[in-house]
Amino acid sequence: MAKELKLMKGNEAFAEAAIRAGSDAYFGYPITPQSEVIEYLMAERPYDRTGMVVLQAESEVAAINMVYGAAASGKHCLTSSSSPGISLKQEGISYIAGAELPCVILNVVRGGPGLGTIQPSQADYFQATKGGGHGDYRLIVLAPASVQEMADFVKEGYELAFKYRTPVMILSDGVIGQMMEKVMMFEQMPRISDAEIAEKYPWATIGKPKSRERNIITSLALKSDEMERHNIHLQAKYKTIEEAEVRVERIRCDDAEYAFVAYGSSARICQKAIEIARAKGIKVGLMRPITLFPFPKKEVELMTQKVKGILSVEMSAGQMVEDVKLAVNGRVPVEHFGRFGGNIPTPDEIVKALEEKIIGG
Amino acid sequence: MEVQELQLTAKDFKSDQEVRWCPGCGDHAVLNAVQKAMAELGIAREQFAVISGIGCSSRFPYYMNTYAFHSIHGRAGAIASGVKTANPSLCVWQITGDGDALAIGGNHFIHEIRRNIDLNLILFNNEIYGLTKGQYSPTTKEGKITKSSPFGTVESPFKPGQLVIGSSGKFFARTLDTNIKHTTQIMIEAATFRGTSVVEVLQNCVIYADKIHAEITDKQFKNERQLFLEHGKPMIFGDNNDKGIILRGMHLEVVEIGKDGVTEADLLVHDAKSENPFIQMMLVNMGLPNFPVAFGVIRAVESATYDQKVERQIRDVQATTKIKCMDDLLRSGSTWEV
Repeated sequence: MAKELKLMKGNEAFAEAAIRAGSDAYFGYPITPQSEVIEYLMAERPYDRTGMVVLQAESEVAAINMVYGAAASGKHCLTSSSSPGISLKQEGISYIAGAELPCVILNVVRGGPGLGTIQPSQADYFQATKGGGHGDYRLIVLAPASVQEMADFVKEGYELAFKYRTPVMILSDGVIGQMMEKVMMFEQMPRISDAEIAEKYPWATIGKPKSRERNIITSLALKSDEMERHNIHLQAKYKTIEEAEVRVERIRCDDAEYAFVAYGSSARICQKAIEIARAKGIKVGLMRPITLFPFPKKEVELMTQKVKGILSVEMSAGQMVEDVKLAVNGRVPVEHFGRFGGNIPTPDEIVKALEEKIIGG
Repeated sequence: MEVQELQLTAKDFKSDQEVRWCPGCGDHAVLNAVQKAMAELGIAREQFAVISGIGCSSRFPYYMNTYAFHSIHGRAGAIASGVKTANPSLCVWQITGDGDALAIGGNHFIHEIRRNIDLNLILFNNEIYGLTKGQYSPTTKEGKITKSSPFGTVESPFKPGQLVIGSSGKFFARTLDTNIKHTTQIMIEAATFRGTSVVEVLQNCVIYADKIHAEITDKQFKNERQLFLEHGKPMIFGDNNDKGIILRGMHLEVVEIGKDGVTEADLLVHDAKSENPFIQMMLVNMGLPNFPVAFGVIRAVESATYDQKVERQIRDVQATTKIKCMDDLLRSGSTWEV
């Protein structure tokens, strides 16, 4: 299928992009607000279009372990869920990270904790960027702020996942998943053949002809020294990722005296807040982290040379603000503003918070 | 379970919450039946604990004027097991559906049954995921078109009764949302049975799987397609009570009474108390088009419950153990030198 402009929901764009990115398999389980992903995939018959498998598992736990299996055999595979379902997947994610396998995981975040609400939220930042599962591991975390990015990040996610042999999480939310926007859908990419897997991915478990080493996929090393070596290797990999893969967008930062730091749908709302603030004569800009891990530490630090204060805007009780504060390291005031529990901040509320917490404070 | 002389009515079990199921949803009927049944049990309201997982039916606790717990998707069985084993005096009811109990909760479902924890498990079977708006479930019939199977499912469905018997279950009953009287009666039988009592309720989802059980429940042919089992009674059904079930060789067979010399005496007599589940399993599996669907208590085999066995074990071990203090424990043998 050629490149084409479409009007789609974020969840549908992710699903269509999953087919076009040459995925071999999707494993999922329905949960609001992302059930459109599996529904779209089932209706599109990707097994006819490209041979891609779509399977409704019996639970999120089953789905992530199906991903573990497919990824181990060198296949391009993904899963999606929303917050409570992503919590269930954490065991599998930790094992996949430990075993160094590539996959893409979409979280269309809803309000928590617990069953919470089906309304949008960004309260899974800690879970996505600081671990979530057990052990010293990191995910590459991409935060889409548009339906376009819901599609593009599937392709980009695979590239990063295979480049670093690590799971990539797309941390979206109920707003981006459910809203409709135009999206330029990239052209169909071929699925990778078994011969190419054998050639490109020596780590994949695809049988052992004489030409191949024997592979055992595992995250276990009972000897402490061996496990420490594995951890040092993983940390070195994460350091490389931190140096090479930071992505950030700056909006109206050139003359800014104040800055918002916001990702995903909060970043979209901040753009409107900037217009309102600037109409009042407040020069404010936006730094939007696109990668949440690696977090744009240097970029935020650099910003402190120009701005007098920073407002971290999130649909949470204050999670990313901790990373902003670490990067700013006391150079300028940093405050958090958030609505949560499924509520979305208005641009006016954000401007008011900027005035009260940063400018007035 | 503490039994008191109490005069309660179904109304006493209704909460002040607005019932938010869709108009026409089968869940309303089950709620009414459970409230009626609870009023009959002579147990104080505060002695009930109603535990649900996630799904439409799992809104049940909000509507009950009892202690209740709206818990985690699939985990109601584990949570109910915890409630009952920690508080054996409570009368525990687990409210679950075909998704909650048999997909994500399948593991907990078979293990609570295997342990025979004394609780009542009401499984609303509408063969669809209603709450997430219409994807297929583990009981959806093969070929059924749903939101997540637009060209028909390719999966074989579970029959809940097979899982219950396969998990060494002691009690399995089946009822239907269109017959509140029967549902109420079955709920009472489930509640008075000691052990894990599983009641499958064939329930209609008016929005995403409407009329899913209509071939069984519709008035015009329900007498011909529903067989109500009672322990010790012959298996008779039909518009004129002229049909019955016999065992021929290793198979069940539908016969007409009075035809080819068949009399009532030839019919199978239902034995819910038989330890051997051979015929009970065939009754679980029985269905259209060649057979009626079996309702009522299919299996009810009294056996020690988990909490009885645990209590007994604690008593026995305390009586016979040589370890009476910390020093006894330290010298009890499980020590070694590294």
